[in-house]
Order: sequence, then structure tokens, then C-alpha cells
Amino acid sequence: MARSLKPPAIGPFRPDAFRSPARSERTAAILGISLGVSFTVCFLTGIYSHLAQYPPSWFHLSARPAGLYRVTQGLHVATGIASIPLLLAKLWTVFPKLFAWPPFHGVASFLERISLLPLVGGGLFMLFSGLANINLWYPWPFNFPIAHYWVAWITMGALVVHIGAKATITRDSLRRTTRDPESTVATSDAAPVPVTGLTRRQLLATTFGVSGLVTLLTVGQTVSPLRKLALLAPRRPDTGPQGFPVNRTARAAGVETAARADTYRLEVVGRVPKPVSLTIHEIRGMPQHRATLPIACVEGWSANKTWEGIRLRDLLAHAGIRDARSVRIESLQQHRSYRSSIVDADQTSDPDTLLALRVEGEELALDHGYPVRLIAPNRPGVMQTKWVARVVVL
Amino acid sequence: MSAPTEAGSAAASAVESSGATHPRAGITFWIGVVIGGGVMAFGLRGLLDQVDTTSAAAIARWVIGADLVHDLLLAPIAILVGWAAGRAVPDRFRFPVQAALVATGVVLLIAWAPLRGYGRAVVPDNPSVQPLNYATAVVTILVLVWVAAGVAIAARLARDLTARPR
Repeated sequence: MARSLKPPAIGPFRPDAFRSPARSERTAAILGISLGVSFTVCFLTGIYSHLAQYPPSWFHLSARPAGLYRVTQGLHVATGIASIPLLLAKLWTVFPKLFAWPPFHGVASFLERISLLPLVGGGLFMLFSGLANINLWYPWPFNFPIAHYWVAWITMGALVVHIGAKATITRDSLRRTTRDPESTVATSDAAPVPVTGLTRRQLLATTFGVSGLVTLLTVGQTVSPLRKLALLAPRRPDTGPQGFPVNRTARAAGVETAARADTYRLEVVGRVPKPVSLTIHEIRGMPQHRATLPIACVEGWSANKTWEGIRLRDLLAHAGIRDARSVRIESLQQHRSYRSSIVDADQTSDPDTLLALRVEGEELALDHGYPVRLIAPNRPGVMQTKWVARVVVL
Repeated sequence: MSAPTEAGSAAASAVESSGATHPRAGITFWIGVVIGGGVMAFGLRGLLDQVDTTSAAAIARWVIGADLVHDLLLAPIAILVGWAAGRAVPDRFRFPVQAALVATGVVLLIAWAPLRGYGRAVVPDNPSVQPLNYATAVVTILVLVWVAAGVAIAARLARDLTARPR
């Protein structure tokens, strides 16, 4: 490199500044592949959740399998948490490259390095914002779902560029079977660089071990046999009114009075032959059905419960509708997001789609949607609308 | 290292350590740039369609800020702590100690919001959010982590002692 500027041989720019033998191409390759897998799982499950909540015209949320969203969203959050130590270890491994001199040479190397900003910044942003969101902590001035969704596309695009740039080097470093730790330190001085710190295997064992540890300490928020171990999870599937969590309380939604009022009516309106208006007593007088369905929150917790109430399709039949139709379920809640949700024809006609009055044999608690809440198979929790006041047939 | 890149290992390692494209990765690299660039453009376009410029600028600040906080704060701290532990701890006990340090750091990062009660502050009337005493939880976890590290050190010590007579 005749034309290259002389590197500033100070601090981290010194060629021997970083001498851990664990910082090898092989370490970077193994961690990189692991992150590629975990980020892809996060991305795909995230896309599914986004489609479920903001469905474009071509997407229809199926009713079955009933627990699908519970699995995909539990996986989304668990994989994100498991990725935290993986990403930090990966960045530690390649940290010396930040000080490479000259910073780039040629167009390809410039593109490769510039794409690291959205990759690293985006990856850290995705994990941090996701972790903050499951804690209901919003220290930023923008809309979380929009930012988390679109930055995911930008990060994954940068990841594709990165995979293109590193595919060959990754394959080569994994094919090599050398046992001795490869040092990234330029060993121009003949004396072997003293081995300090962890070996590659110890670093990888630590990283995957810690990844497993934090998974074990959080995944109980959706895998209920492990709930007692969920010491770092912001939710416990067995904690809350009637033994399961609440996202928005009746007070926060401003429905405390309306939900308990004698004037409460459940209405079926919209494109119906005969609009219906029912008191709570009339609803209780209709045939009651039971369904065991998960309530599965976008924040990653879930709980399986037995619900009891009237079938949505029976209510629609009451209003003179016999075929499968899409409806909008509207809450007593007047303001803020998630006051209504769409139920596709596939879910409306499902026998387990209930307007529930009871859970686990008890009348619904006010915070769980008293007097009537929607509970249907395979839906994000925010779309299991509480304090239902109106069914609008579309 | 395979033949085509053997242009002198010093030069090759200089190319690699500067994060440059592997010489043989030409086509793969450009395919990645075209597809990945397209996906990034889709994401950027979607973002700008849905947020105003103030929000877009805030999101950009947070993405770049995440990178800077890592590179200028988290990584140097982790490296300094690792280096100090390397000096303070004899070679053969280094693995359990450094592994426990990594576990401690990651547990504290993940526990940060519940420890500070950030979520509870947003929804004070909802006791199902962050329902545990997280200080106790974190202390319990860290005690167990360091007990495990201690057991590993003791096992190594015991091995040393039993090996000595020979």
C-alpha cells in the first residue's frame, strides 16, 4: 500500500492495540451466522405481527392454528433478548476494525464500511427499542411501532450487504481447521504475541451461555412452566387481576363509569338486516360457549385461559346475518389507539370466537374488559378488544 | 487462506483487518449491494412516508446514537474491565471470572428498565407491569452467577493441588 497515509500509531490505532486471540475471523464468522439466524427469525416474526396489526388489503389473519401468534410473538421477543449478548460479543470481536487505517480503499470497501452504520446502529436500535417496549418504556419522541418496523427493513438491508461482503471470508474461516488461535495482530515482530484473555472457545462458550441464561430468565413470560424463573421479564403470565397481566387498565382507558353503567348496551350495527341492541342480562340469556384460548401480547407475554361467553357468529345471526362477514369491534374507550379492531370473516365464523363475559369461571374483571370482551383464536392481544360496545358489520 | 488471496499474508491481513471486501467476493458483494440497497431503500421510503421530518430526524439520531454510545462508551468500558480483570486474575482463573463479568454486564443491561421502574412510572395504576422486586431478583441472579464462577475456580484449584504431588 504505497499510497496509504501513515496510520496514526496512537491508542487503538496501534497495530498491536488489540491482542486477544479470541478476536479471530472464525469467532466473527460463528457469531455472525448466529446473529444472521436470530435477526432473520426476529424479522419474519415481526413482519407477521405487523401484518396482523396493520393488515394490507391482501393479508387475512387466519383463525387457525389458534396459538400461532402466541408462538411467533413469543419467539420474536425471546430471540431478540437472546441476540443481545450475541450482538455485543460480535461487536467486541470486530472492534479493532473500527480503527483500520486507511478507513477504506476503493468504492467497494467504502460501500461495505458505510453500510456498517445502518447495520450496527440499526441492530443496536432494534434490540434496545424492543427491550424498552416490552417494559412499556418510551424514552423517545417518535411512534415505536413505525420506527421499529421500518428500521428493521433498513437493518436487514444492511445485513444483506454485509452478508454479500463477508460470505466468502466467513466460509473460508469456517473451513479452516487450524487449532491454534489466529491472532488479528500483525506479528511482524518474530516474538509470539503473549496470549491474554479468553480463548476463542471460551469466548463463544461465554457468549452462548449468557444468551441461554438471559433467555431462561425471561422466556417464562410466555412459556408458563418456566414462569418462576422469569426474574428479568417485565411480565409474569400468572400475575395480574384474575391471575394474568393487563396492558391497559379500565382507568387508563377512561371506561370505569361507562363499563359499569346500567345503560350499557351491546349493539350490532352497520350493514345488517336488523340492528340489535342488547342489555347485559339479554347477553347472559343467550347460549353460552366455552373456549380455551391464549391471550398473547405483542410485548411477548402470553397466558392460556378458559373463556366463556356468546359466539360472535350467534350474535350476528341474531342480527339476521348467516354468512361469514368481516366486522369491526368497537370499545367503550373513546380515545387513543386500539379502541377498535377488525375481525376477518375467517375469524368471525370460528366457533371459538367469543364475546366473553367470564374467564376461568369468574365474571371478567373490569381491567380485563368487563362487561364484554372479544377473544378469538390467533390474534395479537391488542386486538382482543375489551369493553366491547359495538359490532359494526362491514 | 486459499491461493488467490495469497498476495503476501501481511497485505492480505491488512486488507481483512481494514474490513475490506475479500478479493474473491466480487460478484457476491455486488449482488448483496443491489439487493440489500433495495431493501434499505424500501425501509427508508416507508419510514419517510409514515413520519414527519421531526420524527425521522429523531429516529436517525437514535440509530446513530446507539452506534456512538456502543463505540464510545459500552465497548471501551467492556474492554477496560476485561483488561483489568486479565491483569488482576491469574491465567487459569480468568475464564470463570471473565464469563461471570460478561453475565453480570448483560443481566444489568436487561434489568436496567425494570430496576429503575421506567415502565411502572408510565402506568402506575397497573400492578401487572414489572410486578417483581427487581433489585432482589438481580442480586439473586448475580450471587448465583458468582457462586458458579467460584465453584469453577475452586475446581481448578483442587485440580492443581491434586496434580502437584506428582
